[in-house]
Amino acid sequence: MSSSQTHSQGPDIPIMALDRLVAMANQIGDFFAPYPPERRAEGIRNHLRTYWDPRMREELLELIDADGSGLAPHVIEGAKLLREESHVKPGYYGPPKA
Amino acid sequence: MPNPLKPDRSVITTCAYCGVGCGFKAEMRAGKIVRMTPWKEGKANHGHSCIKGRFAYDYYNAPDRVRTPLIRASIDDPWTPVSWQEAFDYAASAFRRIQAKYGVKSLGAVSSSRCTNEEIFLVQKFARAVLGNNNIDNCARICHSPTQFGLTNTIGAGAASQHFDSILQADVIMVVGANPTEGHPVFGSLMKRRIRQGAKLIVIDPRKTETVESAHCKADVHLAIRPGTNVAILDSIAHVVVREKLYNEEFVRARCEVKEFENWKALVGSDKYTPEAIGPLAGVDPADIRKAARMYAGGPNSAIYYGLGVTEHSQGSTGVMCLGNLGLSCGMLGREGVGVNPLRGQGNVQGGSCLGSWPHVFSGYRFVTDYETRSSFEAEWGVPLDSEPGLRLPNMLDAAVAGSFKGMYIMGEDPVQSDPNQHHVIAAMKNMECVVLHDLFLNETSKYAHVFFPGSSSLEKDGTFTNAERRVSRVRKVIEPLAGYQDWEITVKFMNAMGYAVSYDNPGQVLDEIARLSPAYRGMSFALIDRIGSAQWPCDETAPEGTEILHRVKFPRANGLGAFMLTEYVPTAERTNDKYPLLLTTGRILSQYNVGTQTRRTPNSMWHPEDVLEINEQDAIARGVKDGDFVRVSSRFGQIELRAKISERVNPGIVYTTFHHAKSKSNAVTSDLSDWATNCPEYKVTAVDIVRAVMPVAEIPRAAEMPRVEEMETTE
Repeated sequence: MSSSQTHSQGPDIPIMALDRLVAMANQIGDFFAPYPPERRAEGIRNHLRTYWDPRMREELLELIDADGSGLAPHVIEGAKLLREESHVKPGYYGPPKA
Repeated sequence: MPNPLKPDRSVITTCAYCGVGCGFKAEMRAGKIVRMTPWKEGKANHGHSCIKGRFAYDYYNAPDRVRTPLIRASIDDPWTPVSWQEAFDYAASAFRRIQAKYGVKSLGAVSSSRCTNEEIFLVQKFARAVLGNNNIDNCARICHSPTQFGLTNTIGAGAASQHFDSILQADVIMVVGANPTEGHPVFGSLMKRRIRQGAKLIVIDPRKTETVESAHCKADVHLAIRPGTNVAILDSIAHVVVREKLYNEEFVRARCEVKEFENWKALVGSDKYTPEAIGPLAGVDPADIRKAARMYAGGPNSAIYYGLGVTEHSQGSTGVMCLGNLGLSCGMLGREGVGVNPLRGQGNVQGGSCLGSWPHVFSGYRFVTDYETRSSFEAEWGVPLDSEPGLRLPNMLDAAVAGSFKGMYIMGEDPVQSDPNQHHVIAAMKNMECVVLHDLFLNETSKYAHVFFPGSSSLEKDGTFTNAERRVSRVRKVIEPLAGYQDWEITVKFMNAMGYAVSYDNPGQVLDEIARLSPAYRGMSFALIDRIGSAQWPCDETAPEGTEILHRVKFPRANGLGAFMLTEYVPTAERTNDKYPLLLTTGRILSQYNVGTQTRRTPNSMWHPEDVLEINEQDAIARGVKDGDFVRVSSRFGQIELRAKISERVNPGIVYTTFHHAKSKSNAVTSDLSDWATNCPEYKVTAVDIVRAVMPVAEIPRAAEMPRVEEMETTE
């Protein structure tokens, strides 16, 4: 899931304005909020993995590495799972499983 | 004298307007269409039609139809007419230059639900195989993308569970955020027939629509909710189902994930969703919420039909899940007379969804991230394919504003008029280096395009449409394409100019390729449809002539079980305040169609010469506005001017308009908020204020808008 090969336009042009990404990520977090903590985090991770262009995910993770400002804590927790190989589920990227 | 209307030839084809997809007999005399008559054998319409399909066909011959390809280096230059080959070569070299400079992912493509399945599939192939990325989207993004997401997650298939005729077995009909008597009139008539026979009707809609009360149609319960409270009201209905134990436990135990059902019961059964708590928030009587819940759960057969009033919200996908949950909990799936059914706006929205015009799935809703699926497409197309999801249409526009996205191929769409927050869309368009527009007319988006491919109307090409009940019907060429090529040929030739060698003798071969690559379409072919008239997917070895009703035995999910999703109500960020105290919502009218590109160019405009703003008398008096006054509508995003119409159809605090006329520019005021899961725009809720506008009488356009003749600038 590395996205490094897609950064062909140079590092200084963001894929889109950061505030749009933060608002979208928090909305995803709002939906998964009622799920128990582990499923909530996996739901957020899977949604970002399945529906977001890798450059959007990378920009979000860079923000989290910096200070994550504006993001809900559980969104940060879910997004961070994108970096952990143990959460890769080949062939399954849907909503949280029971 | 011989009768000048007597036809000498006729062709059976499919109407391209709404998602009902009526079969029509196009009758010609001396190479011109003289009449469109509804086809008696059409399985979607059984010989019925509305005034759009029946009369509004003349647009194809409008004087401003573009008949020559056009190019220009800059959007400030006039257009230069060129040959087809020059246009293809010009666009291809611009696209290749952009990719060399900014990277493979700096381009994308958008297709339209007005196009055929074959064309939509080819535009997908153009993006994935030729551009080499997954930046492919279609206009279902801005209408029914939450349907695919919400239904797939609950009942497993992002499509109507029933065929239209199933409604004749329904005892209770629940219409949510849709107005079928105006938007889907032929289906609306079928619904009225069932209501006349005694079926009960529940309508959830902010406005007192024609479906709530008109000839042969009166709702037993109308929940006139405040725009934006869908999820709250549906959760409250579910609350009553749970608390009063109205659910179908036998169905849930046999057909659903029981643990998820328990989780769902705990959420919607909690005190925060009691009708007494939600009623005041949503502006409805709690007793009516209980009445609706008891009526729906009581059935015995209850069917849900819904439209964009559910999907076009920041919680659009959640709203669709609420409907899936409700159907599952009461066991209203898997037989005649029940179901959860989206009413699709455009003729081929279902096809647009099925055929892979999405950045994350190939045709048949299979993920680009899945190795096996991707390999099957790579084998067929002969090129390696991108394994990561691409940008969605709103993401492409955001990326264009940021400067990382530089060009797009747009087939049959007009994002500048139809997408929300028009100022943002225009900024994105201006930032792109090459926009290739493929359309019938120089629409609003053409102002920002560099290449124009003159397309063919649905009367000028062969292919198939998939209607709102999953029915695949033939579109047949009635007359020769005015600009020389059918749309599928234009896309293929553009692919060739880009250096990708592929050819088809006819679109039937494209459908064969679709069938090879998409399980639900495996049995589809021109031959099958020519033989039996039409077929509903899934169509395969087990159902060689298609499937009328889904979910009879199991749900198309990995474990075959229906799943309940947790649908917490989250209010939209778009709020009223002292400055913007009213909520604007939008809808359609019978005689016009969507942004009106086609119907405005026909005499149907006599019935609806302009969009008006419906406002409750109380709100009008408070602003000194009288019926017929011009008013300025302002939101946080922009302002427009419309004529006011005092109306009892809207409650105090709510105003309503249609969006059929480009000059109204409704999207100059709509917000940039979107659905959490799909980025489907929140068209249905905008906080606004209204002030009376003073306008000289001479400037007030009273006459019916005549077919618009765009000024075509040429260098001749």
